[in-house]
Amino acid sequence: MGSLLEVTDLKTHFHTRDGVVKAVDGVSFSLAEGQTLAIVGESGSGKSVTALSLMRLIADPPGKIAGGRILFRDENVLEMSDEQIRSLRGDRIAMIFQDPMTSLNPVFRVGYQIAEALRLHKGMDRKAANARAVEMLELVGIPNAPSRARDYPHQFSGGMRQRGMIAMALACDPDILIADEPTTALDVTIQAQILELMIEMQQRTGAAIIMITHDLGVVADMANDVMVMYAGRQVEYGTTDDVYYRPLHPYTWGLLDSLPRHDISEKGDLCPINGQPPSLIDIPSGCAFHPRCPYAKDVCRTDVPELREIEPGHSSACHFSGEPEFTRDVMPCSADMEVE
Amino acid sequence: MLKYVFRRILQMIPVFLGVTLILFALRIPGLLPGDPVQLIVGERELTPALRAQIEEEHHLNESVPVQYGYYISGILQGDLGRSLQKNRTVTDILLDKFPNTARLAVSAILVEIIIGLLAGIISAVKQYSFWDVVVTLSTSILVSVPVFWLGMLLQMFFGIKIKQWTGGAFSLPMSGMGSPPDLVHLILPSITLASVSTAYVARIMRSQMLEAMGQDYIRTAMAKGLSERVVVFKHALKNALIPVVTFIGIDLGALMGGAILTESVFSWPGVGREIYLAVMQRDWPVVMGGVVVVVLIVMFVNLLVDISYAVLDPRIRYGGTTE
Repeated sequence: MGSLLEVTDLKTHFHTRDGVVKAVDGVSFSLAEGQTLAIVGESGSGKSVTALSLMRLIADPPGKIAGGRILFRDENVLEMSDEQIRSLRGDRIAMIFQDPMTSLNPVFRVGYQIAEALRLHKGMDRKAANARAVEMLELVGIPNAPSRARDYPHQFSGGMRQRGMIAMALACDPDILIADEPTTALDVTIQAQILELMIEMQQRTGAAIIMITHDLGVVADMANDVMVMYAGRQVEYGTTDDVYYRPLHPYTWGLLDSLPRHDISEKGDLCPINGQPPSLIDIPSGCAFHPRCPYAKDVCRTDVPELREIEPGHSSACHFSGEPEFTRDVMPCSADMEVE
Repeated sequence: MLKYVFRRILQMIPVFLGVTLILFALRIPGLLPGDPVQLIVGERELTPALRAQIEEEHHLNESVPVQYGYYISGILQGDLGRSLQKNRTVTDILLDKFPNTARLAVSAILVEIIIGLLAGIISAVKQYSFWDVVVTLSTSILVSVPVFWLGMLLQMFFGIKIKQWTGGAFSLPMSGMGSPPDLVHLILPSITLASVSTAYVARIMRSQMLEAMGQDYIRTAMAKGLSERVVVFKHALKNALIPVVTFIGIDLGALMGGAILTESVFSWPGVGREIYLAVMQRDWPVVMGGVVVVVLIVMFVNLLVDISYAVLDPRIRYGGTTE
């Protein structure tokens, strides 16, 4: 399968009064037709900005895509005219957002908001678009769809709204669906339903999905590839199996260890990563993760580690990845460590 | 919805009673300086017989609560009493003046809507641009300028100075209202009357628009591929308009009640100026009747505003129910 989306060295910077914030600083990945890529990281690691950059939805000013290339079906999104990019948005690349409570416009009916994209991109008349909107609502499991389409967003519950958002995003049958933490704002019981719905819809429509999340557990069943981000850079990138079973980067180890487990963990208690993600204005020297890394050595404080392919299709941005004695098993729980 | 309207109407009753009660205090002897009987008699000599006759006529010999009862029942029958100065009923006088006030109020509201909304929208869409600075600065100045002073400045400039400079070829009328449908006379008073509110409308519009444009649903609309124009003028504007419409509605209520300052400066024969003249002449039935009518109008317009608010905002219409 050919590459649907090819991102090379993407840089998105924000110019603020306090200086340049390098929210995304040289990220590269690719997405094949019908595949799922998960972008994982803590808050402020640049996941959402990466997603918004793909659709050129970064507010300029203060944001600016400072460099790189985004090839969608071999066309560079960054060189498109405003009109071209608009015809892509919502039609070929669609997006659903974190908070379904605020992502729907409160003064328009849900059905109308779904129909809007259809009328715009597919040239449907009002009637055809409304009929298709009802169909989409049925598809995402909204009961009594014909009458619910005439409801306003506040008459929907949180889970239903996210279903509505998914219906809206998939209405035009896009090639890529970007989901920016689609379950974070929902109840745990609803989270599973929404994820199942997304998997089901992907099987039905064949859309590729970029799943942004801070929850590694969420992506385990869904993703083909995983990209782990930290402070605007990717620290590990590989297939889901690679990243789950043979993680290379201490940050990924930390993420995996901080997952609550219900089986017996060889390390015993929950083991969170100590400290806070760094401010993007004042990124630590060398490896951005070094103040929180239990392995940090002198070289980590001075040299920025490049993303290196350690084994085929699996890369990591750590100076020590690939060294035989440097494995997850020897890592102490970073929670016991003093943060610099 | 009907239940809501009904409840709102019921809520108007205590307000109305409260206002009339306060107004009625004007009539209680000793509470305000001046003897009402003397006022009615005017220049005539006040004999004890005449006093008794007048007290009888005006129920002044009754106890205060009984007088209030007479007064309220009069109002309910459309009888607001007689003017002490003019030989006419207060109802007649007010009915005569009200169309003029309404005329001025409507044209002022139009100025508010057209200039205020446009300035606010431009200011928000082109935030921090030259026009935004112009709007922000001029509205700050306008809200702090006294209305009567602005009126006089406009009179001086458009009524006198321009006439001098153009050798009498051009000027705007600065007093009176001409005979309808003469719109030229409306220009200066409606600009003056609208000035402060226009500035407020522009400011509210600007801030509401900016707030709406920062919302998540705007990003959703952009992600859908809609053009910026559609996003701003459809998705943002409809949300931003709700508080602005409320403000304009409430302001319409206030303007319909007559604008005492503007009407006085421009000798506009409306309800506000009539009340002002009546106060100066201690013509208390006109003052009381005028204020009662103004209160009724304001309450009624506010009711209409509340209803229109519910029409605009589905969250209010349906009371936020989730099935």
